Amino acid sequence: MKKELIRLENVSKSFDGELILDDLSLTIHENEFVTLLGPSGCGKTTTLRIIGGFETPDNGRVIFDGQDITSLAPNKRQLNTVFQKYALFTHMDVAENIAFGLKIKNKPQDYIEDKIHYALKLVNLNGYEHRMPGSLSGGQQQRVAIARAIVNEPKVLLLDEPLGALDLKLRQDMQYELIRLKEELGITFIYVTHDQEEALTMSDHIVVMNQGYIQQEGSPEDIYNEPENAFVADFIGDSNIIKATMVRDELVSILDTDFVCVDKGFGENTPVDVVIRPEDVELVPRGEGTLSGTVSHVIFKGVHYEMEVQAGGFAWLVHSTRLYETGSEVDIKVDPFNIQVMNKPESEDEEVLAKDD
Amino acid sequence: MRSKIEKIYMGIIFVFMYAPILTLIILSFNTSKSRARWGGFTFQWYINLVNDNSVLNAMANTLIIAMVSTVFATVIGTLTCVGLMGLRRRSRTVIMGITNIPMINADIVTGISLMLLFKVLRFETGFITVLLAHITFNIPYVMLSVMPRMKTINPNTYEAALDLGAEPFYAFRKSVLPDLMPSIIAGALMAFTMSIDDFIITYFTKGSGFDTISTKIYNEVKRGIQPEIYALSSIIFIAVLVLLFASARMRQRQAAQRKDVALYKVEKRISKGKAAVIAVASLGVILLAMYFGGVFTRKNNQLFVYNAGEYIDPEVIEMFEAETGIEVVYDEFETLEIMYAKMVQNDGAYDVICPSDYMIEKMMNAGMLRELDLNMIPNRKYIGKQYMESARSFDPNNSYSVPYCWGTVGILYNKNMVKEPVTSWDILWDEKYSGEILMQDSIRDAFMVALARNGYSINTKDPAELEVAAEDLVKQKPLVQAYVIDQARDKMIGGEAALAVIYSGEVIYTQRENPDLAYSIPDEGSNVWIDAWVVTRKARNPEAAMKWINFLCRPDIALMNFDFITYSTPNEAAREMIEEEDIRNSEVAFPDESILDRCETYFYLGEDGDALYNEMWKKVKSGK
Repeated sequence: MKKELIRLENVSKSFDGELILDDLSLTIHENEFVTLLGPSGCGKTTTLRIIGGFETPDNGRVIFDGQDITSLAPNKRQLNTVFQKYALFTHMDVAENIAFGLKIKNKPQDYIEDKIHYALKLVNLNGYEHRMPGSLSGGQQQRVAIARAIVNEPKVLLLDEPLGALDLKLRQDMQYELIRLKEELGITFIYVTHDQEEALTMSDHIVVMNQGYIQQEGSPEDIYNEPENAFVADFIGDSNIIKATMVRDELVSILDTDFVCVDKGFGENTPVDVVIRPEDVELVPRGEGTLSGTVSHVIFKGVHYEMEVQAGGFAWLVHSTRLYETGSEVDIKVDPFNIQVMNKPESEDEEVLAKDD
Repeated sequence: MRSKIEKIYMGIIFVFMYAPILTLIILSFNTSKSRARWGGFTFQWYINLVNDNSVLNAMANTLIIAMVSTVFATVIGTLTCVGLMGLRRRSRTVIMGITNIPMINADIVTGISLMLLFKVLRFETGFITVLLAHITFNIPYVMLSVMPRMKTINPNTYEAALDLGAEPFYAFRKSVLPDLMPSIIAGALMAFTMSIDDFIITYFTKGSGFDTISTKIYNEVKRGIQPEIYALSSIIFIAVLVLLFASARMRQRQAAQRKDVALYKVEKRISKGKAAVIAVASLGVILLAMYFGGVFTRKNNQLFVYNAGEYIDPEVIEMFEAETGIEVVYDEFETLEIMYAKMVQNDGAYDVICPSDYMIEKMMNAGMLRELDLNMIPNRKYIGKQYMESARSFDPNNSYSVPYCWGTVGILYNKNMVKEPVTSWDILWDEKYSGEILMQDSIRDAFMVALARNGYSINTKDPAELEVAAEDLVKQKPLVQAYVIDQARDKMIGGEAALAVIYSGEVIYTQRENPDLAYSIPDEGSNVWIDAWVVTRKARNPEAAMKWINFLCRPDIALMNFDFITYSTPNEAAREMIEEEDIRNSEVAFPDESILDRCETYFYLGEDGDALYNEMWKKVKSGK
């Protein structure tokens, strides 16, 4: 088990009477790449700002390395933040920006210069020391912001949607760079994003949040393959989320058709939701599958075709490399392992969240 | 074609906008004091300006007020903007709305409310109250400049600095302030300009003995503008122009900054040095100005003097200060009525005042004056007997006042345009001179002319006689070119009119500028007026006041004042010392006693009398 680094204990926070975080508890371990994932307004940024010290929670505690830092000022915390809009000092050049924190700590000039050199090399910006931020591209500015943060050797780097303002290609490049950086530095990254793909690509550990609650925590694989509720399933990737009835163990009735599955312990004739990823829906010629339907819509996506199949009164989303033209009569078949059965939302809160996405 | 018309149109607009200022600047280099004549190029007025202590004082006051109020307003305004960013948008909009009110509000309302507030709080009006007022109205201008910039600043920048270990103030200084700086400087320049520019608010919040350039100029205007003021106004215009350009450039640079950051960086290096120089220079100017302005040196041995504008040789004040060690706080009033109103409001504000005959009577009756200690004024003996006698008409025992200047009212005419002898007021009703006649725009003087013409007393309170006079004036109106005050002398110098009712004191000067002019006191008689020094009952320093009057009666001093003012002096000894014979024996400055016998001084008419004259005057003015 990895060593615990940060622990949020029952943290609550509201702004102007609106509850943003409700009794949130979260543990972050050393040397992890943790992603807080959720739609806007879910509380992920507030959580990050509480860790960074820019907000003070109304209730609860923040423990850092065994110390209570709940009301410690941000400039006293051993962590650094990379902001969404870079937040570089526009009147200072790149080197001055990077040296800012080191100068405050009264580091010797040689040390500062070494650090600037090292950090710029790390973010692939050698030779940019004397450029002004305004003359750099968005991606370059973000690298400077990262360099500025890491020269202070923080134990934790907080990143608030740092790639949000970049275009797609640049964003993908930066994702790999961030992973590499994390490996080289060997420190904890806490990363906030609303982009599930980004989260799945980079994280060791994902925390899915909605409306101030943690919906599910786990590795990217866990989150993707076994979403615990409809919100997570819907938020992470495309999904077919269908109301169903658990007939008995290992048999579920979807749209009045029985499917074999691997889930147990839901009881008999229990209403449930099932999640089936579009790439897990197999289309086979009529007569060879479980449920009959008609292809109603086809889009070419490059890697695969995205098709909509009307079957049993539900529009199924299907990803397949094999094309069935619009109007084709097909059957649907699903491998038992790929049917994810979930309980119906129990609490009112969960209900609200599920509707809300 | 179209663009040509556009250009011409622009040209016309510029001419309308700048022609007046251009005229002013040209006149500031005019050797002649007249507005109507170009007498050659000179720097004389600028030199006079530099040598005029009261103007320098006002200038120093203006600069100190402008700088200090700018500094305070800039700091307060910027901090307010920082604070407002922490509020929700709606409260912010409401507060911005409220802070903008002083800017939209009429200056006069702001001025009067501040004055009332200071009165209620028992602040003594003066430097501090003007400063507070200026800070108040300057804050919105700073906020107006800083707030829009503030809104564009990424709040994360400040947080990033905190995050990197900076203390809050350091973080603000390093992250937010540099981005705000151009707008702060632009706001400060705006505030500075507004402060220098302000008249109304200053006028209401300043006390006695304190003037800024704008209030100083206003005082001068009422008494007839001197060319020094043209020079001063030209300097102010140029200074404000430079400030506005600087402010505009600052904004341009702000815009350019985003485009060319590298260049800005180089510039920044230079401007750091520049900023230091400017800071040191400003500090120097402030200290110097404070030294000259005497802001912090309020001595006990002070004399508060209240006199009409341009009514003393400034050197005389310096000499008095040097000889007696008494510091003179010298203020000028625009009209006797304003002086009276001010004294009613605060009767201890001045120690010694120089009003005219009827006003002295009025103040005496109101118990505002103090009997003179004649033992302290031995030099009174130099005043001619006939003048002391005339003064008895308003000061029966000669115990409250000592005559200072005197003169008559008569007709100034252009010998080329009026060939006949001028012996009667009737000539002002002669249709031959239709459109060539200038009347004095003053109740008493206008009625005096009509009353004397009809053989009535110029102090009559008989409604029937006044009715006749008023009818005469209405009848005369079609012939009159204009009712004027001091334009009379310029128009006469420029040959724009043939006849003008004028004070004898203006005559010597106008004749110097235009030898075709002559002066006559009509046979029906006229007004002789006497201005005399009096001491207020509540004078804080009556002894110094007596010394002041005695000093002004000294022949050499009276002569200096005569040379400067050119109004007739009642000081016989001084008259003997006048070198030019034609002036010493001038019919205009020192008319025959036989002529003086025909003349009367004005009496105080009492409130009923004043009301009656005012009512009649309204009839004349509206032509009914």
